[in-house]
Amino acid sequence: MRIEQHPILDTFEKGRQVRFTYDGRELTGYEGEPIAEALHAAGVMVHRYTTKKHEPRGMFCAIGRCTDCVMIVNGKSNIRTCITPLEEGMVVETQYGNSSREDAQK
Amino acid sequence: MIKHYDLIVVGAGPAGLSAAIKAANCGMHVIVFDENQRPGGQLFKQIHKFFGSKEHKAKIRGIRIGEELLAEAEKAGVEVSLNSIVLGLYNLKGVSVMRNNQVEHFRGENVIIATGASENVVPFEGWTTPGVIGAGAAQTMMNLHGVMPGKRILMVGTGNVGLVVSFQLLQAGCEVAAVIDAAPRVGGYGVHAAKVARTGVPFYLSHTVVKAEGGDHVTGVTIAEVDSHFKPIPGTEKHFDVDTVCMAVGLSPMSQLTRMAGCKMIDNGGAVPEKNEYGETSIPGVFVAGDVAGIEEASSAMITGRIAALGAAGRSGFISDAEFTKQYEACVNSLNQLRQGMFCKANKGRTDILTTDEGYPLSMSLLTKGYMTEEELAKFTNLNAHQTGVHPVIECTQNIPCNPCQEACKFGCISVGTNITNLPGVVAESKCTGCGMCVANCPGQAIFLVNEDTGDGFATITLPYEFLPTPQAGEKGTALNRSGAAVCEAEVVSVRTNKSFDHTMLLTIKVPKAYAAEARFYKPEKEGK
Amino acid sequence: MKDYLDRTFDLGPYVPEEDDDLIICRCEEITKGEIRQAVHEGMFTMTEVKRYLRTGMGLCQGQTCGRLVKNIVQNELNKKISAEAENTARAPMRPIPMDVYGKEAE
Repeated sequence: MRIEQHPILDTFEKGRQVRFTYDGRELTGYEGEPIAEALHAAGVMVHRYTTKKHEPRGMFCAIGRCTDCVMIVNGKSNIRTCITPLEEGMVVETQYGNSSREDAQK
Repeated sequence: MIKHYDLIVVGAGPAGLSAAIKAANCGMHVIVFDENQRPGGQLFKQIHKFFGSKEHKAKIRGIRIGEELLAEAEKAGVEVSLNSIVLGLYNLKGVSVMRNNQVEHFRGENVIIATGASENVVPFEGWTTPGVIGAGAAQTMMNLHGVMPGKRILMVGTGNVGLVVSFQLLQAGCEVAAVIDAAPRVGGYGVHAAKVARTGVPFYLSHTVVKAEGGDHVTGVTIAEVDSHFKPIPGTEKHFDVDTVCMAVGLSPMSQLTRMAGCKMIDNGGAVPEKNEYGETSIPGVFVAGDVAGIEEASSAMITGRIAALGAAGRSGFISDAEFTKQYEACVNSLNQLRQGMFCKANKGRTDILTTDEGYPLSMSLLTKGYMTEEELAKFTNLNAHQTGVHPVIECTQNIPCNPCQEACKFGCISVGTNITNLPGVVAESKCTGCGMCVANCPGQAIFLVNEDTGDGFATITLPYEFLPTPQAGEKGTALNRSGAAVCEAEVVSVRTNKSFDHTMLLTIKVPKAYAAEARFYKPEKEGK
Repeated sequence: MKDYLDRTFDLGPYVPEEDDDLIICRCEEITKGEIRQAVHEGMFTMTEVKRYLRTGMGLCQGQTCGRLVKNIVQNELNKKISAEAENTARAPMRPIPMDVYGKEAE
């Protein structure tokens, strides 16, 4: 959920609205903001499932250190979505282990 | 090709920027590398007003201090290279940096490592579930990106970070179910705890998280009381429906670059390089400043940054011995003012402090529940002179380095003294005009203007208010006491705003005079955002 | 204080604890019990535990678990590991794609 009005911060500098896909679903966000923030605002909590125990992980540190938020972005795995700026038309997918679901099932 | 600089600074937070500005002003050719998109380190997440004194930028919000630093850096001609990840620090003061999708090499005559600290974590069952986040993550989401971390949060940790972030969560429109800490005492400033407690958030000291529940994301959390070995006591479990668990359990210096370069390391709340009084490590020309040298505050970081820059400038001949000594001593004086009082490093973790420096008994309720009782407050005879008419009431009962209240009052009503760690005192003979500058300027939001009897059976209280929706004159709501319990009906008399208050509203409410000493917060009738 | 390289140090038998299945290294999904057991199997230093179990070798390179692993190993050994006995810090300090690592600027 986005903060519409804040008692101390007058504005949140945002770029223009852009469209991107998350696991095939179309979502909107602001150009330049971290992908993870756009996902969080849209209610997405799970970014990936772990390799060994297939457990869900999401944003933890939000500053690019813990690597729990990594997803497949435009086909590349292990992209830290909390520090990667959103671009128009980005294809964002849930990561399973190190790859997309199709690869994991093979 | 290796590019040479007189000084390379790693980290564009308060320490790094302050160091770079000082060095540039001494004539050094400086570059600052920062891995982030924006400079300022943690400063731009700190939307609260800082403590200290004028020279430490007290009563100014962290975000404004960040903006000032950036402007100063630009004016001094400091080169700040963002999105630049320092990959390694080599022992001849060489630095390799990844930027613009390639690797570049630099060498500094001097290097200042100001990489700050990273958040600690405390594992518990379910801690890997999405929805369990660090306190810094909550700040990043809400203060930098305008996204609510969650709807209802449990905060773990009552150090300053936990308390400050809890308040910021409330300001962002989130609910805070509770603040807990395994320790028996609140670790941060009492005034930070009081701000949170008076909104109704309960504190559970000597409690730990047992389990965070939820499959794909957090749906609830169970906490339990702990014994003297910090083990949960069966039968004391309490459950909260929350969607977020926030961890504020301390910081550790990010000193990997100095370890890599071969600096001699010691333990100071984490591995830190051994350093001399100018921040120079065992490798000549490699300095550390800010949290990476030892966890303190942003105010201290700015000073240790300047000291390291002076060290580098002195080492490389950019400053005369006389000028160096003069500036260095000024920095040390400023730093020592901050390193005093019950929260200073030397006193960290002590549970045996029972009185203030002046001999007043510390409020145990404040330390264990986050709010003071009236009886405890009454013992601080210096904080309320009970004059007729409007007069200040200062609920600041711990020795912390801070004095904006003294500077705020143009009529001499408040006195702290030369030692800024002193408790403030209300000057009984003074004449309060009710201007409210003290209320607006107190970084701890601990000052109230009270008229105990307006003559019609009522009392008025002017309190600092930083929430939305903005109350309207004439509206009715509820007055809450220090523990956040509703005590009586309150009518809004006025809401004053002023550019110099920087978003702190002065809210004046009218309550039945019997509640003049109790009413300390206002809750609007309709729960709006 | 004993020399931490004293391999004859008797740890006593391994005593299972209630929270042995708590995940400590989030990236590699290694539990507290696995770390404690590794110490009993002769891994007395941070580096040995790391090489044996991969704690600190995942994407975040020990940024999150480092302090936790150190505490667990210390507790199991019942002594203090000095700051010198941390995992060796090496370049690169952050994840870097191979094709960028090889791209030296002019």
